[in-house]
Amino acid sequence: MKGFYSLLKKDIRLMAAGKFFVMSLIFLILYTLYVNFGYVRFMNMQIYSVYLYDPAGTQKTVSPLIHSVSSRKELDAALLRDTSSVGMDASTGEVKIVLYDATEQTNLHRADYALSLLRSSASRSPEIIGTNTPEQKARKEITCELLFFELTAVGFLGIAAVLFKEKGMGVIRVHAILPVQKKLFLLSKLVVFLLSDLCFAVLLTLLNTGFSDGVVLLPAVLLQTAVLSLIMALAGLLCALLLKGFRQFTLAYLVIAVFAATPVFLSANTPVKFDWINLHPFYHIYMGLKNAYFETTVSPAYYISSACAIALLFFVVQLAFHREMEKEG
Amino acid sequence: MIEVKNLTFSYKKGRQALHGLNFTVEDGEIFGFLGPNGSGKSTTQKILTGILKRHGGDASLFGQDISAAHSREFFQKIGVLFEFPYLYANLSAIDNLNYFSSFYPKEQRRDIGELLEMLEFKPDFLKKPVSSYSKGMRQRVSMARALLSNPRLLFLDEPTSGLDPSGAVLFRNIIEQERQKGTTVFLTTHNMMDADLLCDRVAFISDGNIVALDTPRHLKEKNSNRRVIIDYLYQGRREATTIEAPALETGIPFAHDEVISIHSQEPTLEDMFIQYTGRRLT
Repeated sequence: MKGFYSLLKKDIRLMAAGKFFVMSLIFLILYTLYVNFGYVRFMNMQIYSVYLYDPAGTQKTVSPLIHSVSSRKELDAALLRDTSSVGMDASTGEVKIVLYDATEQTNLHRADYALSLLRSSASRSPEIIGTNTPEQKARKEITCELLFFELTAVGFLGIAAVLFKEKGMGVIRVHAILPVQKKLFLLSKLVVFLLSDLCFAVLLTLLNTGFSDGVVLLPAVLLQTAVLSLIMALAGLLCALLLKGFRQFTLAYLVIAVFAATPVFLSANTPVKFDWINLHPFYHIYMGLKNAYFETTVSPAYYISSACAIALLFFVVQLAFHREMEKEG
Repeated sequence: MIEVKNLTFSYKKGRQALHGLNFTVEDGEIFGFLGPNGSGKSTTQKILTGILKRHGGDASLFGQDISAAHSREFFQKIGVLFEFPYLYANLSAIDNLNYFSSFYPKEQRRDIGELLEMLEFKPDFLKKPVSSYSKGMRQRVSMARALLSNPRLLFLDEPTSGLDPSGAVLFRNIIEQERQKGTTVFLTTHNMMDADLLCDRVAFISDGNIVALDTPRHLKEKNSNRRVIIDYLYQGRREATTIEAPALETGIPFAHDEVISIHSQEPTLEDMFIQYTGRRLT
């Protein structure tokens, strides 16, 4: 136990020397500023600006979201300025949609949206399900995405940076002859990163989803954070042990980021669905975190698979660690 | 202390590094393991210190088979100085030693300040990070790390590497002091002077085989041609003559006015190594 405490103290010191905690704090502040002063406001903005040219006032029901223009020339100028906006020319008495060309689906969507603003709000009020307000939903979604990014990118790179430092100094080999269980060397790093990630998750959730909402979400969010944190930390350790230098590692990480993270974000947050996405482990981990934020039950099979993945990764990391200890100077 | 029988080891690529080594190291002995780079010295040391597993043959330390011996108690009894000074570069000498010593029981630990003083470590650098140290200073801290647990068995890999001549003398004295305390020393080196001055016995290892094992003196004597060169003055001229050493028993067997010097033709340990292995040590 004393040996583990020494390892823990040393790892915290290494991380502090590498400015890991300062970086995490800076990221927390940046994310919080972005969510509270950027993202939430951005999500409240109108999707498309809608302009109406109706010199004779033929349209009786006009939503306050519509901007009126006084000439066709002004309408065209507005549409050219903001190419995603939608124009309606009612000068002939009949509403004609005018817009800058995009894909057929987008054009139809924009046209329907603009026309819906000429109907009474009662006629376009859908039945609402779910308990989250649009702002709560937006806050939970973005907090989930930022936490996922923080754990997969910053935590992964952080633990690898610490191990690369120790590998470069050769001190891993010294631990091979110390009277301490070798796996504690790995476990202490996992514990430090796990605790750091859990603290980060608590603060990020409370600051961005609100205290009362956040407290309710925390148990499930922390469980998912622990799963993702351990998997990413072990993956970071493995890469750091197998790859020769930090440059090689960052290149490998770029590949992971592009090929692993992009399809997950696309599938989870957009209508784009890949047939094979269910085979992608990160999709399930991301959905686990998202389900925690939206208080949806997660299947026990997910937890069993995660536990098996963590155990398997730990075993492989131990093998790589022993291989590193055996190496020549 | 150490008993090795028919020790073999192969790396995964199929390269056999050790071909059945046999040797014993007695309690309190300084045993030199000499060989050029790639001869199997480090592999043997790694097997004995429990870093490398999957070896063939038998090896026992402290009377216990090494496969079973690598427990916490085992590591508390050994001290290892690696070929390179592996230390935390961002920590000071004191912090490094405090960290490494924290893994040993309190009653076993030596005083870090005293150790560093004995190793003539510059006090100004005690709290500066290791990254600012010279190679010699790093080697001193590494030696302190190897000694701080009062080990019964000390593995030293090129202990005087990176040290200036006075540092090398200091290290040899410290190793000698350790032996006097009863510590067994397994010295891996290709430094002939270290081996000759320190070791009770040496083993020559080449291509994974021990080709000779004896005291340095016996090795040299066995292979000596027993000749001496005598430099002398005779009738105002300086001359040199080689004679068989037994011929000196009755005095200098030729005419001379003054003897300037007598040099034995005993081979050096390096000559012996070349004779046994056909290779140089570097």
